[in-house]
Amino acid sequence: MGAVVEAVLRLSTFSERQILDLVSEGQLGELFPFRSKTQELPPDSVAEDDLVEASALPMSRSQKAALIQSSMPSSGARVGSDRLAAALAWQEEVLRSADEESHR
Amino acid sequence: MASDLPRRFARRAPSKVNPDRFVDIRVTDMNAGDALWWDRKFGPSHAQDRRRADRFWAWSVLLPMCHLVQLAKRRYCRPLVIWTRADNRRFVRAGMSILIDDYPHLDIADPSQSDFVWFISAGDSGVLTKELGVSDPPSLGRVLLDCAVVVSENAGFGGRIGLHAAPQGGQRLLDFYVKCGLANLPKAAGLPPSVTRRNDGRFFFAGAAAAAGLAALLDADR
Repeated sequence: MGAVVEAVLRLSTFSERQILDLVSEGQLGELFPFRSKTQELPPDSVAEDDLVEASALPMSRSQKAALIQSSMPSSGARVGSDRLAAALAWQEEVLRSADEESHR
Repeated sequence: MASDLPRRFARRAPSKVNPDRFVDIRVTDMNAGDALWWDRKFGPSHAQDRRRADRFWAWSVLLPMCHLVQLAKRRYCRPLVIWTRADNRRFVRAGMSILIDDYPHLDIADPSQSDFVWFISAGDSGVLTKELGVSDPPSLGRVLLDCAVVVSENAGFGGRIGLHAAPQGGQRLLDFYVKCGLANLPKAAGLPPSVTRRNDGRFFFAGAAAAAGLAALLDADR
């Protein structure tokens, strides 16, 4: 299992308050071994027509999956692709099992 | 008469310079590029401000971490970016938030679900003005909370929200949330069983009535 997945499973035993406190103390790097230094930086500004405004309505499962996917650095980034792949595979498994549960 | 249409996110916010003036804003979903951009543009400035609770928050790491940790808990995050109009009429990022959908409401006297405001951050006005060409930066505190209220309301949670004020924000952060109209959960109050750690007196919430009042404040700007 990748280091990222191990870290996620450990962090998932913490409360949101604990995680907020640890992150605010500057301990995130120790808790979650994840870097995205080499991804290309988007432009500073965007034309109004190019902004895709967020819907305030609840998202479908596929929209949620796409949103999670977009939060991960692109596959070309130097982030430890094995760890990222493991995290993404695991994420897909969680989504699939949640989907199965909702159809029971 | 109240409208049956779902509430939208606010599209204007009061100016920080002159609260009687309003500034155009837009809300988008957050992706990895947004988080990385934020870390590069605002991170160095925020890190130097000891008063900021978010001075060590690395959004490019926070974003995937929050998603994956909440997935492990069978919940979903809703990360949002607030953009503001720059002097050249284009939009630049000015605020970030990560909400958790379907979170236990913190007020156990009102057992229901809510949206939990996990991380919120407004970009430093100096950076916005000097480096990003925004001579009239928006005041985003209320707007960041309003986004959570709107998401909660549209999800069927009555606009209920909850949050924990990071200790690094000190009394100043507590005062800010009170000023925004949130209720401070008394230190002696219990928390829902799945919010596991002890109450340190820094939890805040808005019930359905308070949330309706908060949302109404920005209805003219949606």
